[in-house]
Amino acid sequence: MGFEVETMKFEGPLDLMLHLIQEQKLDIFDLDMAVLADQYLSYLHKMESLQLEIESEYLVELSTLVEYKSKKLLPKKKDEEDEELDPKVRLVERLLEYQRYKDAASFLNESFLARQDEYAKPLSMIELEDDEEQARYEGDPFDLLKAMNKVLRRRQLSQPMSVRLATREVSTEDRILQIKARLIDLPDVFSFDKLLDDCKDIIDYIVTFLAVLDMTKNHYLTFSLDENDNIYFGRGTNNE
Amino acid sequence: MSELREIDYEAVVESLLYVAGDEGVKPETIAYVIDKTKEDVMALLVNLTHRYESEHSGLELVNYGGSYKLVTKQLMAPFVKKLLHEEKNNALSQSALETLAIIAYKQPITRVEIEELRGVGAEMMLKKLLAKGLIKEAGRSEAPGRPILYEVTEEFMDSFKLENLDELPDLPQYSKKDNESLFD
Repeated sequence: MGFEVETMKFEGPLDLMLHLIQEQKLDIFDLDMAVLADQYLSYLHKMESLQLEIESEYLVELSTLVEYKSKKLLPKKKDEEDEELDPKVRLVERLLEYQRYKDAASFLNESFLARQDEYAKPLSMIELEDDEEQARYEGDPFDLLKAMNKVLRRRQLSQPMSVRLATREVSTEDRILQIKARLIDLPDVFSFDKLLDDCKDIIDYIVTFLAVLDMTKNHYLTFSLDENDNIYFGRGTNNE
Repeated sequence: MSELREIDYEAVVESLLYVAGDEGVKPETIAYVIDKTKEDVMALLVNLTHRYESEHSGLELVNYGGSYKLVTKQLMAPFVKKLLHEEKNNALSQSALETLAIIAYKQPITRVEIEELRGVGAEMMLKKLLAKGLIKEAGRSEAPGRPILYEVTEEFMDSFKLENLDELPDLPQYSKKDNESLFD
Protein backbone atom coordinates (compact mmCIF):
# COMPACT_ATOMS: atom_id res chain seq x y z
CA MET A 1 0.00 0.00 0.00
CA GLY A 2 1.46 3.25 -1.05
CA PHE A 3 0.93 6.47 0.71
CA GLU A 4 1.00 9.35 -1.67
CA VAL A 5 0.71 13.00 -0.84
CA GLU A 6 0.39 15.31 -3.76
CA THR A 7 1.89 18.60 -2.70
CA MET A 8 1.87 20.38 -6.04
CA LYS A 9 0.57 23.88 -5.87
CA PHE A 10 -1.41 25.18 -8.79
CA GLU A 11 -2.15 28.76 -9.68
CA GLY A 12 -5.71 27.88 -10.60
CA PRO A 13 -7.85 25.52 -12.68
CA LEU A 14 -6.10 26.37 -15.96
CA ASP A 15 -2.72 25.69 -14.40
CA LEU A 16 -4.02 22.37 -13.11
CA MET A 17 -5.38 21.42 -16.53
CA LEU A 18 -2.07 22.23 -18.21
CA HIS A 19 -0.35 20.03 -15.67
CA LEU A 20 -2.78 17.16 -16.28
CA ILE A 21 -2.41 17.46 -20.06
CA GLN A 22 1.35 17.27 -19.68
CA GLU A 23 1.23 14.42 -17.16
CA GLN A 24 -1.21 12.36 -19.24
CA LYS A 25 0.70 13.22 -22.43
CA LEU A 26 -2.48 14.49 -24.04
CA ASP A 27 -2.30 16.39 -27.31
CA ILE A 28 -3.45 19.88 -26.50
CA PHE A 29 -4.25 20.51 -30.18
CA ASP A 30 -6.53 17.48 -30.29
CA LEU A 31 -7.68 17.47 -26.71
CA ASP A 32 -9.42 14.42 -25.31
CA MET A 33 -11.92 16.21 -23.12
CA ALA A 34 -13.21 13.01 -21.53
CA VAL A 35 -9.78 12.03 -20.22
CA LEU A 36 -9.12 15.56 -19.05
CA ALA A 37 -12.47 15.72 -17.24
CA ASP A 38 -11.82 12.39 -15.48
CA GLN A 39 -8.33 13.37 -14.42
CA TYR A 40 -9.49 16.78 -13.27
CA LEU A 41 -12.25 15.26 -11.21
CA SER A 42 -9.98 12.65 -9.67
CA TYR A 43 -7.53 15.38 -8.71
CA LEU A 44 -10.29 17.29 -6.95
CA HIS A 45 -11.35 14.09 -5.18
CA LYS A 46 -7.80 13.61 -4.02
CA MET A 47 -7.72 17.14 -2.65
CA GLU A 48 -11.00 16.51 -0.93
CA SER A 49 -9.77 13.28 0.67
CA LEU A 50 -6.75 15.17 1.99
CA GLN A 51 -9.27 17.60 3.43
CA LEU A 52 -7.79 20.44 1.43
CA GLU A 53 -10.07 23.26 0.65
CA ILE A 54 -11.07 23.41 -2.99
CA GLU A 55 -11.43 26.94 -4.19
CA SER A 56 -14.61 27.81 -6.04
CA GLU A 57 -12.69 28.63 -9.24
CA TYR A 58 -11.86 24.94 -9.62
CA LEU A 59 -15.52 24.03 -9.44
CA VAL A 60 -16.52 26.58 -12.08
CA GLU A 61 -14.16 24.99 -14.59
CA LEU A 62 -15.21 21.53 -13.51
CA SER A 63 -18.77 22.32 -14.49
CA THR A 64 -17.58 23.26 -17.99
CA LEU A 65 -15.76 19.96 -18.33
CA VAL A 66 -18.60 17.87 -16.97
CA GLU A 67 -21.17 19.65 -19.10
CA TYR A 68 -19.14 18.93 -22.21
CA LYS A 69 -18.73 15.29 -21.25
CA SER A 70 -22.40 14.76 -20.46
CA LYS A 71 -23.52 16.39 -23.69
CA LYS A 72 -21.43 13.88 -25.58
CA LEU A 73 -23.40 11.05 -24.05
CA LEU A 74 -26.71 12.40 -25.30
CA PRO A 75 -27.96 11.60 -28.78
CA LYS A 76 -27.63 14.60 -30.99
CA LYS A 77 -28.78 15.93 -34.30
CA LYS A 78 -26.28 16.33 -37.06
CA ASP A 79 -26.43 20.11 -37.24
CA GLU A 80 -25.71 20.43 -33.56
CA GLU A 81 -22.26 18.99 -33.94
CA ASP A 82 -20.42 22.15 -34.97
CA GLU A 83 -21.93 24.06 -32.16
CA GLU A 84 -20.86 21.39 -29.77
CA LEU A 85 -17.20 21.68 -30.63
CA ASP A 86 -17.18 25.25 -29.43
CA PRO A 87 -16.52 24.85 -25.70
CA LYS A 88 -13.58 22.59 -26.47
CA VAL A 89 -12.03 25.00 -28.97
CA ARG A 90 -12.61 27.77 -26.50
CA LEU A 91 -10.97 25.85 -23.65
CA VAL A 92 -7.92 24.97 -25.75
CA GLU A 93 -7.56 28.62 -26.71
CA ARG A 94 -7.73 29.66 -23.09
CA LEU A 95 -5.16 27.06 -22.09
CA LEU A 96 -2.74 28.14 -24.80
CA GLU A 97 -3.28 31.80 -23.95
CA TYR A 98 -2.59 31.08 -20.28
CA GLN A 99 0.55 29.11 -21.17
CA ARG A 100 1.80 32.17 -23.08
CA TYR A 101 1.58 34.32 -20.00
CA LYS A 102 3.21 31.63 -17.90
CA ASP A 103 6.14 31.78 -20.31
CA ALA A 104 6.15 35.57 -20.11
CA ALA A 105 6.08 35.37 -16.31
CA SER A 106 9.21 33.25 -16.24
CA PHE A 107 10.97 35.77 -18.48
CA LEU A 108 9.89 38.57 -16.14
CA ASN A 109 11.13 36.60 -13.15
CA GLU A 110 14.65 36.43 -14.61
CA SER A 111 14.74 40.18 -15.24
CA PHE A 112 13.37 40.88 -11.78
CA LEU A 113 16.10 38.83 -10.11
CA ALA A 114 18.82 40.28 -12.34
CA ARG A 115 17.67 43.82 -11.58
CA GLN A 116 18.30 43.25 -7.89
CA ASP A 117 21.95 42.64 -8.64
CA GLU A 118 22.16 46.24 -9.79
CA TYR A 119 22.36 48.79 -6.99
CA ALA A 120 21.74 52.50 -7.22
CA LYS A 121 22.27 55.03 -4.46
CA PRO A 122 19.39 57.12 -3.12
CA LEU A 123 18.77 60.65 -4.33
CA SER A 124 21.36 63.00 -2.83
CA MET A 125 19.46 65.78 -1.17
CA ILE A 126 19.69 67.89 1.91
CA GLU A 127 16.70 66.97 4.02
CA LEU A 128 14.22 69.81 4.02
CA GLU A 129 12.14 70.77 7.00
CA ASP A 130 8.70 69.27 7.04
CA ASP A 131 6.49 71.28 4.76
CA GLU A 132 3.17 71.18 6.50
CA GLU A 133 1.46 73.17 3.78
CA GLN A 134 1.69 70.36 1.30
CA ALA A 135 -1.49 69.05 -0.25
CA ARG A 136 -2.73 66.05 1.62
CA TYR A 137 -5.34 63.43 1.19
CA GLU A 138 -6.75 60.78 3.44
CA GLY A 139 -5.51 57.38 2.41
CA ASP A 140 -6.48 53.84 3.12
CA PRO A 141 -4.09 51.34 4.74
CA PHE A 142 -2.83 50.21 1.33
CA ASP A 143 -1.56 53.74 0.71
CA LEU A 144 0.17 53.58 4.04
CA LEU A 145 1.78 50.31 3.06
CA LYS A 146 3.02 51.81 -0.19
CA ALA A 147 4.45 54.78 1.64
CA MET A 148 6.07 52.49 4.18
CA ASN A 149 7.77 50.54 1.41
CA LYS A 150 9.22 53.77 0.12
CA VAL A 151 10.50 54.78 3.53
CA LEU A 152 12.08 51.39 4.04
CA ARG A 153 13.81 51.47 0.69
CA ARG A 154 15.16 54.93 1.26
CA ARG A 155 16.38 54.14 4.75
CA GLN A 156 17.89 50.87 3.71
CA LEU A 157 20.09 52.59 1.19
CA SER A 158 21.02 55.52 3.36
CA GLN A 159 22.15 53.35 6.26
CA PRO A 160 23.34 50.12 4.74
CA MET A 161 25.80 49.24 7.49
CA SER A 162 23.37 48.72 10.33
CA VAL A 163 25.00 46.21 12.61
CA ARG A 164 23.03 43.06 13.15
CA LEU A 165 24.62 42.07 16.40
CA ALA A 166 22.97 42.83 19.72
CA THR A 167 19.54 43.47 18.36
CA ARG A 168 17.33 44.38 21.22
CA GLU A 169 13.72 43.68 20.78
CA VAL A 170 11.14 46.33 21.45
CA SER A 171 7.60 45.10 21.54
CA THR A 172 4.89 46.92 19.67
CA GLU A 173 3.22 47.71 23.00
CA ASP A 174 6.39 49.31 24.36
CA ARG A 175 6.80 51.26 21.17
CA ILE A 176 3.26 52.59 21.43
CA LEU A 177 4.06 53.85 24.93
CA GLN A 178 7.25 55.48 23.68
CA ILE A 179 5.41 57.20 20.86
CA LYS A 180 2.65 58.39 23.20
CA ALA A 181 5.34 59.91 25.41
CA ARG A 182 6.93 61.63 22.44
CA LEU A 183 3.58 63.04 21.30
CA ILE A 184 3.86 65.66 24.05
CA ASP A 185 6.84 67.29 22.35
CA LEU A 186 5.87 66.73 18.74
CA PRO A 187 4.13 69.41 16.66
CA ASP A 188 0.48 69.02 15.62
CA VAL A 189 1.51 67.49 12.36
CA PHE A 190 4.72 65.54 11.97
CA SER A 191 6.23 63.29 9.36
CA PHE A 192 6.79 59.57 9.64
CA ASP A 193 10.51 60.18 9.28
CA LYS A 194 10.37 62.25 12.45
CA LEU A 195 9.01 59.24 14.34
CA LEU A 196 11.78 57.11 12.90
CA ASP A 197 14.50 59.43 14.23
CA ASP A 198 15.38 57.16 17.11
CA CYS A 199 15.26 53.95 15.09
CA LYS A 200 18.50 52.08 14.75
CA ASP A 201 17.64 49.24 12.46
CA ILE A 202 14.99 47.70 10.28
CA ILE A 203 13.35 45.96 13.23
CA ASP A 204 12.74 49.34 14.83
CA TYR A 205 11.14 50.63 11.62
CA ILE A 206 8.81 47.71 11.45
CA VAL A 207 7.88 47.87 15.12
CA THR A 208 7.23 51.60 14.70
CA PHE A 209 5.10 50.91 11.66
CA LEU A 210 3.08 48.30 13.56
CA ALA A 211 2.74 50.71 16.46
CA VAL A 212 1.35 53.52 14.32
CA LEU A 213 -0.99 51.10 12.55
CA ASP A 214 -2.36 50.14 15.93
CA MET A 215 -2.52 53.76 17.06
CA THR A 216 -4.39 54.89 13.96
CA LYS A 217 -6.80 52.01 14.40
CA ASN A 218 -7.47 53.11 17.98
CA HIS A 219 -7.75 56.78 16.96
CA TYR A 220 -4.68 58.00 18.82
CA LEU A 221 -3.26 59.12 15.51
CA THR A 222 -4.59 60.11 12.12
CA PHE A 223 -2.47 59.88 9.03
CA SER A 224 -2.43 61.54 5.66
CA LEU A 225 -0.17 61.36 2.66
CA ASP A 226 1.05 63.91 0.19
CA GLU A 227 1.41 63.27 -3.51
CA ASN A 228 4.93 61.89 -3.01
CA ASP A 229 3.68 59.24 -0.60
CA ASN A 230 5.22 60.95 2.41
CA ILE A 231 3.31 60.02 5.53
CA TYR A 232 2.17 62.66 8.00
CA PHE A 233 0.56 62.07 11.36
CA GLY A 234 -1.76 64.15 13.47
CA ARG A 235 -3.52 63.62 16.78
CA GLY A 236 -6.56 61.40 16.74
CA THR A 237 -9.83 61.77 18.61
CA ASN A 238 -8.63 59.55 21.42
CA ASN A 239 -6.11 62.15 22.65
CA GLU A 240 -8.58 64.78 23.66
CA MET B 1 30.52 79.56 -12.61
CA SER B 2 31.39 82.21 -15.18
CA GLU B 3 35.08 81.55 -14.61
CA LEU B 4 34.79 78.14 -16.22
CA ARG B 5 36.04 78.58 -19.72
CA GLU B 6 35.00 75.31 -21.15
CA ILE B 7 32.45 73.10 -19.55
CA ASP B 8 32.66 69.41 -20.26
CA TYR B 9 28.95 68.65 -20.49
CA GLU B 10 29.54 64.94 -20.35
CA ALA B 11 30.97 65.51 -16.88
CA VAL B 12 28.03 67.71 -15.95
CA VAL B 13 25.57 65.01 -16.99
CA GLU B 14 27.55 62.49 -14.98
CA SER B 15 27.26 64.65 -11.88
CA LEU B 16 23.50 65.00 -12.37
CA LEU B 17 23.16 61.24 -12.71
CA TYR B 18 25.16 60.76 -9.54
CA VAL B 19 22.94 63.10 -7.56
CA ALA B 20 19.69 61.71 -8.98
CA GLY B 21 20.68 58.20 -7.86
CA ASP B 22 17.95 55.60 -7.99
CA GLU B 23 15.30 58.21 -8.82
CA GLY B 24 16.97 58.50 -12.22
CA VAL B 25 16.70 61.50 -14.46
CA LYS B 26 14.96 62.00 -17.81
CA PRO B 27 16.80 63.38 -20.84
CA GLU B 28 14.29 66.26 -20.98
CA THR B 29 15.22 67.26 -17.44
CA ILE B 30 18.93 67.15 -18.23
CA ALA B 31 18.30 69.22 -21.35
CA TYR B 32 16.54 71.84 -19.26
CA VAL B 33 19.26 71.91 -16.60
CA ILE B 34 22.22 72.25 -18.96
CA ASP B 35 20.27 74.30 -21.49
CA LYS B 36 20.90 72.04 -24.47
CA THR B 37 18.63 70.28 -26.92
CA LYS B 38 17.40 66.79 -26.17
CA GLU B 39 19.44 65.53 -29.14
CA ASP B 40 22.61 66.94 -27.57
CA VAL B 41 21.74 65.24 -24.31
CA MET B 42 21.10 61.90 -25.99
CA ALA B 43 24.54 62.11 -27.63
CA LEU B 44 26.14 62.84 -24.24
CA LEU B 45 24.26 59.91 -22.68
CA VAL B 46 25.41 57.56 -25.44
CA ASN B 47 29.02 58.59 -24.83
CA LEU B 48 28.65 58.15 -21.11
CA THR B 49 27.04 54.75 -21.57
CA HIS B 50 30.06 53.63 -23.60
CA ARG B 51 32.44 55.03 -21.04
CA TYR B 52 30.84 53.03 -18.26
CA GLU B 53 30.87 49.89 -20.36
CA SER B 54 34.64 49.76 -19.87
CA GLU B 55 35.72 47.01 -17.52
CA HIS B 56 37.45 49.64 -15.43
CA SER B 57 34.09 50.89 -14.23
CA GLY B 58 31.95 49.16 -11.64
CA LEU B 59 28.97 51.24 -12.67
CA GLU B 60 26.63 51.03 -15.58
CA LEU B 61 24.38 53.67 -17.12
CA VAL B 62 20.91 52.24 -17.75
CA ASN B 63 17.60 53.54 -19.05
CA TYR B 64 14.65 52.02 -17.23
CA GLY B 65 11.22 53.40 -17.99
CA GLY B 66 12.69 56.44 -19.72
CA SER B 67 14.85 57.52 -16.76
CA TYR B 68 18.61 57.25 -16.84
CA LYS B 69 20.41 56.10 -13.74
CA LEU B 70 23.74 54.80 -12.58
CA VAL B 71 23.69 51.32 -11.11
CA THR B 72 26.37 48.88 -10.10
CA LYS B 73 27.16 46.24 -12.69
CA GLN B 74 25.65 42.83 -12.13
CA LEU B 75 29.17 41.41 -12.01
CA MET B 76 29.78 43.38 -8.81
CA ALA B 77 26.70 41.99 -7.07
CA PRO B 78 28.46 39.36 -4.91
CA PHE B 79 30.70 42.02 -3.39
CA VAL B 80 27.95 44.59 -2.96
CA LYS B 81 25.76 41.98 -1.30
CA LYS B 82 28.55 41.08 1.09
CA LEU B 83 28.94 44.74 2.03
CA LEU B 84 25.23 45.11 2.65
CA HIS B 85 24.87 41.75 4.41
CA GLU B 86 22.32 40.74 1.83
CA GLU B 87 21.98 37.08 1.19
CA LYS B 88 19.52 36.60 -1.57
CA ASN B 89 17.29 38.55 -3.89
CA ASN B 90 13.61 39.07 -3.24
CA ALA B 91 11.30 37.02 -5.39
CA LEU B 92 7.81 37.75 -6.62
CA SER B 93 5.19 35.03 -6.34
CA GLN B 94 4.15 33.13 -9.43
CA SER B 95 0.69 34.68 -9.30
CA ALA B 96 2.17 38.19 -9.03
CA LEU B 97 4.41 37.52 -12.04
CA GLU B 98 1.57 36.08 -14.13
CA THR B 99 -0.71 38.99 -13.28
CA LEU B 100 2.02 41.50 -14.14
CA ALA B 101 2.77 39.68 -17.40
CA ILE B 102 -0.89 39.88 -18.42
CA ILE B 103 -1.14 43.57 -17.58
CA ALA B 104 2.14 44.44 -19.31
CA TYR B 105 1.13 42.69 -22.54
CA LYS B 106 -2.55 43.62 -22.59
CA GLN B 107 -2.74 47.00 -20.91
CA PRO B 108 -4.91 48.84 -20.25
CA ILE B 109 -6.89 45.92 -18.88
CA THR B 110 -9.71 45.39 -16.38
CA ARG B 111 -9.72 43.07 -13.39
CA VAL B 112 -12.35 40.82 -14.99
CA GLU B 113 -10.24 40.39 -18.13
CA ILE B 114 -7.25 39.38 -16.00
CA GLU B 115 -9.39 36.91 -14.07
CA GLU B 116 -10.70 35.43 -17.30
CA LEU B 117 -7.14 34.84 -18.52
CA ARG B 118 -5.85 33.27 -15.31
CA GLY B 119 -9.05 31.51 -14.26
CA VAL B 120 -8.76 32.86 -10.70
CA GLY B 121 -9.76 35.96 -8.77
CA ALA B 122 -7.38 38.91 -9.00
CA GLU B 123 -8.71 41.46 -6.55
CA MET B 124 -6.21 40.99 -3.73
CA MET B 125 -3.30 40.61 -6.11
CA LEU B 126 -4.17 43.90 -7.80
CA LYS B 127 -4.25 45.63 -4.43
CA LYS B 128 -0.83 44.21 -3.59
CA LEU B 129 0.64 45.25 -6.91
CA LEU B 130 -0.85 48.74 -6.54
CA ALA B 131 0.70 49.00 -3.08
CA LYS B 132 4.06 47.93 -4.47
CA GLY B 133 3.71 50.67 -7.09
CA LEU B 134 4.15 48.19 -9.95
CA ILE B 135 0.77 48.95 -11.50
CA LYS B 136 -1.58 51.93 -11.49
CA GLU B 137 -5.13 52.74 -12.41
CA ALA B 138 -5.52 54.12 -15.89
CA GLY B 139 -9.05 55.45 -16.19
CA ARG B 140 -12.12 53.37 -16.81
CA SER B 141 -13.26 51.04 -19.53
CA GLU B 142 -16.35 51.84 -21.62
CA ALA B 143 -17.69 48.36 -20.79
CA PRO B 144 -20.86 48.08 -18.64
CA GLY B 145 -20.20 49.20 -15.09
CA ARG B 146 -17.24 51.23 -16.35
CA PRO B 147 -14.65 49.00 -14.63
CA ILE B 148 -11.22 50.36 -13.67
CA LEU B 149 -8.40 49.84 -16.14
CA TYR B 150 -4.91 48.94 -14.99
CA GLU B 151 -1.50 49.45 -16.52
CA VAL B 152 2.11 49.01 -15.41
CA THR B 153 4.16 51.89 -13.99
CA GLU B 154 7.66 53.25 -14.53
CA GLU B 155 8.51 51.44 -11.32
CA PHE B 156 7.57 48.22 -13.13
CA MET B 157 9.95 49.08 -15.99
CA ASP B 158 12.65 49.80 -13.43
CA SER B 159 12.05 46.53 -11.59
CA PHE B 160 12.18 44.48 -14.79
CA LYS B 161 15.02 46.26 -16.60
CA LEU B 162 12.86 47.65 -19.39
CA GLU B 163 13.30 50.91 -21.24
CA ASN B 164 9.73 50.63 -22.51
CA LEU B 165 7.15 47.92 -23.14
CA ASP B 166 8.32 47.42 -26.73
CA GLU B 167 11.31 45.68 -25.20
CA LEU B 168 9.16 42.82 -23.99
CA PRO B 169 9.75 39.75 -26.15
CA ASP B 170 6.86 38.66 -28.37
CA LEU B 171 4.55 36.16 -26.75
CA PRO B 172 5.17 32.66 -28.08
CA GLN B 173 2.77 31.44 -30.76
CA TYR B 174 2.25 27.73 -30.35
CA SER B 175 1.42 25.44 -33.22
CA LYS B 176 0.72 21.72 -33.45
CA LYS B 177 4.35 20.78 -33.82
CA ASP B 178 5.08 22.41 -30.46
CA ASN B 179 3.05 19.96 -28.45
CA GLU B 180 6.15 18.06 -27.30
CA SER B 181 8.10 21.12 -26.28
CA LEU B 182 5.22 23.24 -25.02
CA PHE B 183 5.73 22.56 -21.37
CA ASP B 184 9.49 22.67 -21.09
